[in-house]
Amino acid sequence: MSTTISVQEAAAESTGAENTEPVFSVDGLWKVFGPKADRVPADPELAALSAAELRSRTGCTAAVRDVSFDVRKGEVFVVMGLSGSGKSTLVRCLTRLIEPTAGTIAIDGEDVRAMDRARLRELRRHRAAMVFQHFGLLPHRSVLDNVAYGLEVQGVPKRERRAKAQEVVAKVGLEGMEQRRPGQLSGGQQQRVGLARALAVDPEVLLFDEPFSALDPMIRRDMQEEVIRLHGEEGRTMVFITHDLNEALRLGDRIALMRDGRIVQLGTPEEIVGSPADDYVREFVRDVPREQVMTVRGAMRAASAEEAGEGPALSPEATISQAIEAVARSGQTARVVDQGRCLGVVDSDALLEVVAGTAGTAGTAGTATRSTRSAGSAGSAGATGPVGSAREGVA
Amino acid sequence: MATGTASAPRTALPGLPGFLGFLRRPAVGKLVLLAVAAAVLVPLADSRWASGSWPGALTVDLTEPLGSASTWIIDNRDSHPLFLYFFGHVSNAVVLAVRAVYLVLLAAGWAGVTAAAALVAWRVAGVRLALGTAAAVLTCGLLGMWVPTMQTLALMVVAVLASVALGALLGLAAGLSDRTYRALRPVLDTMQVLPAFAYLLPVVLVFGIGVPAAVLATVVYAAPPMARLTALGLRGADAGVMEAVESLGTTARQRLFTARLPLARKELLLGLNQTIMMALSMAVIASVIGAGGLGDRVYQALASVDVGAALAAGIPIVLLAVVLDRVTGAAGSAGSAAPAGEKPEGAGSRRTGWAGRADRAGWHSWAGRPGWVLAAVAALAVAVAGRLAGRLDWPETWIVTIAEPVNRAVDWMTDHLYSGVPYVGGTADWAAHFTTGVLNPVRDGLQWLPWWAVLLTVAALAWPIGTWRTALTAVLAMAAIGVLGVWQPSLDTLSQVLAAVAVTLVLGFGTAVAAARSERCERLLRPVLDVFQTMPQFVYLIPVVALFGVGRAPAVAAAVVYALPAVVRITTQGLRNVDPAAMESARSMGATGWQQLRQVQLPLARPALLLAVNQGVVLVLAVVIIGGLVGGGALGYDVVFGLAQGDLATGLVAGAAIVCLGLMLDRVTQPTRGRTRKGA
Repeated sequence: MSTTISVQEAAAESTGAENTEPVFSVDGLWKVFGPKADRVPADPELAALSAAELRSRTGCTAAVRDVSFDVRKGEVFVVMGLSGSGKSTLVRCLTRLIEPTAGTIAIDGEDVRAMDRARLRELRRHRAAMVFQHFGLLPHRSVLDNVAYGLEVQGVPKRERRAKAQEVVAKVGLEGMEQRRPGQLSGGQQQRVGLARALAVDPEVLLFDEPFSALDPMIRRDMQEEVIRLHGEEGRTMVFITHDLNEALRLGDRIALMRDGRIVQLGTPEEIVGSPADDYVREFVRDVPREQVMTVRGAMRAASAEEAGEGPALSPEATISQAIEAVARSGQTARVVDQGRCLGVVDSDALLEVVAGTAGTAGTAGTATRSTRSAGSAGSAGATGPVGSAREGVA
Repeated sequence: MATGTASAPRTALPGLPGFLGFLRRPAVGKLVLLAVAAAVLVPLADSRWASGSWPGALTVDLTEPLGSASTWIIDNRDSHPLFLYFFGHVSNAVVLAVRAVYLVLLAAGWAGVTAAAALVAWRVAGVRLALGTAAAVLTCGLLGMWVPTMQTLALMVVAVLASVALGALLGLAAGLSDRTYRALRPVLDTMQVLPAFAYLLPVVLVFGIGVPAAVLATVVYAAPPMARLTALGLRGADAGVMEAVESLGTTARQRLFTARLPLARKELLLGLNQTIMMALSMAVIASVIGAGGLGDRVYQALASVDVGAALAAGIPIVLLAVVLDRVTGAAGSAGSAAPAGEKPEGAGSRRTGWAGRADRAGWHSWAGRPGWVLAAVAALAVAVAGRLAGRLDWPETWIVTIAEPVNRAVDWMTDHLYSGVPYVGGTADWAAHFTTGVLNPVRDGLQWLPWWAVLLTVAALAWPIGTWRTALTAVLAMAAIGVLGVWQPSLDTLSQVLAAVAVTLVLGFGTAVAAARSERCERLLRPVLDVFQTMPQFVYLIPVVALFGVGRAPAVAAAVVYALPAVVRITTQGLRNVDPAAMESARSMGATGWQQLRQVQLPLARPALLLAVNQGVVLVLAVVIIGGLVGGGALGYDVVFGLAQGDLATGLVAGAAIVCLGLMLDRVTQPTRGRTRKGA
């Protein structure tokens, strides 16, 4: 019985992270384009209309509808959706590059929508910097001056900002290109400049608006790794917009999946893939290689006494595909071990269920194995509880 | 096989369904509507004011009030506070400024001016252009035109500075405020299409004949391109860049100075280039209202049909134009890192060939300060040296008189080429044939047409290719000509315009098709077009007078020569820019060259063709009016007559009619909003 307890403890541990204050806290955010946009969020009847009905009734388009989420310190928060789902509008609302129609946005508890111009400039200068899909570089400036631009705007003296820019240019791997013009760089290099420009002002949050969509697949992969590396080195909070599911799964600590301006599901990659909130999400993640996203934490069951003593050890964060390799190699059940304690075990049956996708619709089965597993997934769902289920409340 | 495929759709039965489909085309619908309206209105109008020409009952005689207004102004010019405290100061400031610049130029001496010009060209555009500039400036001296050249230059410097300042301010306002832009844009658009002559009389009315009037007319004429391009450049800033800049927390001021203005650099420099070219063009034409300088020499020479003297003054004008255009053009393309593909809307097609030069000219950072300091010091040194050597004025002995030999050549031409050349006839014969065979019938035909028929034709031409708005403007402009009481001379001018446009389009489209199909042909044409497009309108009168004497035919010939380069260039570009995928698919189906041209290139290049027609019409009108100076008669003559006789009323009415005619012709041929500048 002790092992079951340890599963719950593990779940409780993972909830610890969300006790930190959110960096961005968004609640009930609306952005409606069109004439007299204000009335749409205010009127429950209009707010409930579908996009097509809303347009024919009012001539308005709701790009963001009643969206709520928190971005926690140090995480990579991915907003993902197809084109037209409102994700780019959403990220622009965060620093009021697009003025939201209704709702609240707070950065470190400070109301963004209440800020005056000077305060808002301060926010844009120091606290949130953005990387754009089409780079937005100044073509008449050298790479170095582009990177230093944010500091120049702040009034940092030339020598100082050049030195800082030089440092950041080196960090993103553009040494030797300082004096080139953006027009002389490849797409990937230009985006490195865009990234460096955002990093140079040392912002609290980095906002990415589909930064790699315009790049070739190979370059895109390089850039994703660059972002992962930077995040690993600096632990900076990031909000990342993308339409590419694989990119979302690679980068995201948590993913908000948007459709028609609403968040249809918000959770870890594992939750999105493992327990899709509705058919839309299910359809979306259908082709995802589940064994590379799901972890053994969600597939394990309580170990019997002898199982707990032998077999290869895995960390709870190990992917199913790693577990398959371990199980196949040893021919035994694999133990899930966290800080020397055995949390549970995975066997080939459980792993196969995950790969086949039959485990994703779980929660109904009555066997001992299943109930433990579903306890685990309930635990991790609880981990995102306040945000994932209580606030989101959309799906 | 290919022919079979191509003509297959045509074998569909003609007849009723075809006719219904024909009716459903929007252009036809508009025409039917117009015909219905005409059927109701024409009998009414005809019964009331039956007249071939514009009915006298509908004419308002403005001569009287205009005459008294001009008399009042002349009487009160020295006493009325408006003149004393405003126009008087403006006038004095202009005179002082021109005088100051002129004195500086004289003080620098010919050596100093040449050195300064060459060094500026060197810094901006490289060694080759610097040598060319020096050669051009020295040629002006060699031709004995040093002093007039300096006079023209002094007037231009002041006019360009004022135009740029005014244009940039207006452009800034229009670029940053939507409301200003909406208000200003139609005004600027319209100013672009008006012939230069239309600007002369209003300023003369206020300032009298003299340098201030000339400078102000030049400013009014040359400022619009600067304003237009500044506004376009500021508004055309890449939205992504502007958003990124805003996301970094810039203030509005920072956005303007660090992003919007630098991003618009290309347009700003293009605006500067166009302003300079138009200022030169106008500074020469303004000799009619007392500008002095080179234009005046040409004007005087033409008045006495002294082609040699006109050429001696004309060559410096051409050289100035080419040098100024090349140097400012090079400044515009140098160091611009913007992608070459992005062309500002309406920036004019003539620059497209220059995009490629950007990279070559980009070697020097032309903001490099040491170079400029060096250039300034060198120029100063040469000027001082020239002063110490006592050689400020161009030495008399260095003047090469070309008037004499040129006139001898012209005399020889008159004797041998004017008429009686076996088989081909002579140039004067051609001119006479053209006048009797084309110009007279067209003019008589137009004047014979009932006035309502003319208005109807205007509407029927303007509506199908434009909107009801453009059609209405065109009809109203035409009617205004009638109301002003200059119906007959306007139709005379119109007949010359129509004849010239027809010739221009035939020649232009023919040349353009050849140039678009053959790389070599285009390579040969390009430098010729480049030079021809930079020349001021005035200069074209010189060769045609030499060839055809005076009269209406030479005016038409000058108009054709002036408008041809723009038409050829726009058409060639339109044909070349046709989607290569469409051409390829046509080729892959085995279309012959002629089929490709007729079925793919021409239909797809339709917007460019319409634009070419529009530009052709606008440019032709400008020169046909100026042709009044060489016997073109009609409206242009009225303006010149009004100026020469001090009869401002006649001149002003003719000027207003020119404005209306320009407006009408532009609107009739205006297919879309996208347009280029007038070629100047």
